[in-house]
Amino acid sequence: MNNSNLLQDMNAVITGANRGIGREVVKLFAQHGANIWACARSENEEYENFLSECSEVHNVEIFPVYFDLSDKDQIRAGIKEIMSTRRPVDICVNNAGITYNALFQMSTLEKMHEVFEVNFFSQMLISQYIVKLMLRQKRGSIINISSTAGLDGNSGRSIYGASKAAIICASKAMAEELGESGIRVNSIAPGITQTDMLTSMSDEMIDLTSQETHLKRVGNPSEIAGACLFLASPLAEYITGQVIRVDGGLG
Amino acid sequence: MLLKGKNAVITGCLKGIGRSTLDAFSKNGANVWACCQEKTDEFESHITQLQNDNGVWIKPLYFDFLDESELKTAVKQIHRDKLAIDALINIAGITKDSLFQMVSMSDMKRIFEVNLFAQILFSQYITKMMLKNRSGSIVFISSISGLDGNIGQLSYSSSKAAIVGAIKTLSAELGPQGIRVNAVAPGVIDTEMTKGVSGGSLEKLIGSSALKKIGHPSEIANANLFLASDLASYITGQIIRVDGGIR
Repeated sequence: MNNSNLLQDMNAVITGANRGIGREVVKLFAQHGANIWACARSENEEYENFLSECSEVHNVEIFPVYFDLSDKDQIRAGIKEIMSTRRPVDICVNNAGITYNALFQMSTLEKMHEVFEVNFFSQMLISQYIVKLMLRQKRGSIINISSTAGLDGNSGRSIYGASKAAIICASKAMAEELGESGIRVNSIAPGITQTDMLTSMSDEMIDLTSQETHLKRVGNPSEIAGACLFLASPLAEYITGQVIRVDGGLG
Repeated sequence: MLLKGKNAVITGCLKGIGRSTLDAFSKNGANVWACCQEKTDEFESHITQLQNDNGVWIKPLYFDFLDESELKTAVKQIHRDKLAIDALINIAGITKDSLFQMVSMSDMKRIFEVNLFAQILFSQYITKMMLKNRSGSIVFISSISGLDGNIGQLSYSSSKAAIVGAIKTLSAELGPQGIRVNAVAPGVIDTEMTKGVSGGSLEKLIGSSALKKIGHPSEIANANLFLASDLASYITGQIIRVDGGIR
């Protein structure tokens, strides 16, 4: 296999494509020849310019799709838009998510519902629709972005971590259910990564955590995208039900 | 071309997973020191073909891993090339299955000698060269039997579990120097090694997997390729199961 275009002629749905990790996934997937439905919450010019530039440079098709993950009807409308293009979906990267830092005793029920709505329920709903499409060609790779917080548990992240743990458990069950139909389901657990989510942490805390990693540094969103590319590609054809930590070696 | 211009050392290149890894690395633009236990005409012509097809060099090194002086000679040959080493893939390994009460100490020691001690010794030498550039990726081959256990595989699974401890420690020790250390844990892979396993236990394992099929050496090679490449630049201290989803 020539590996310069790992996703040649494949079609990928990417959520949370506007910022951070999602944006890097769009770049890398486009670079490797994938056509993309780039899902984001709201329309904006800078984002659309980014997408059309990506599409031109790499000679792939990229369609922006807009929906709010806390709104079921919007999700359905977004999926309909994807279906209307009548292309097979080969890859789905469930990346969109929100963060929530609060000590356990201070976490509110309202916030818990919101975090699970966006980080878990909406991802499940999207995956249900996408799997239905993937089953037609009996092939596909689903990648759910979890977090090391969902594996290790971190102080101040009980609710966020729980939503990310739920994703891992669901991915494993999905892998078992869908394996025979040729659909692989894996999760990626990023560690401390240079995105907007980091703004909720103090510089001191970021420094401290990055010194805990074996590589002694914070990860880049492009490094999470690298793992997504691997799991999405034929290189990972025999990998399913796994969680890959991309954390520079934490603890 | 995930490894364009990189130089890699791969052990156990003659057959199976090692051979597939050599193929995948060459196709992706890596130059390789290919370590094997024995020289065969078939292997020599295979590497000539790989070099011609992919515009890379492959230097075969033939030595017995259990012979410390032969191993040192091979290391010296690599050292003499005065090239940066970007990746080390430790694949050479052996197995001998028997039930716990039947395991002979001499077999067990021999398995640990090849699967652990020789790999560690070899890695010590190669790491020394990697440290000069403060970058590199080391991949070991563990096994799902080292993670889950498997009836009849006491010696093999223990040696593969030892690899797990080793990579985590090496990752912590070498990470600050820019060297990543990971392991791949293959499931049931179609190689000569698994052909020797009897009693239907493999069929049972495959049946319990999500994908319900046996794996191919190339699928392990591709995980090695990923871990050696820059795509995995923030991954260290990990064990990646390539097993079709076995629980």
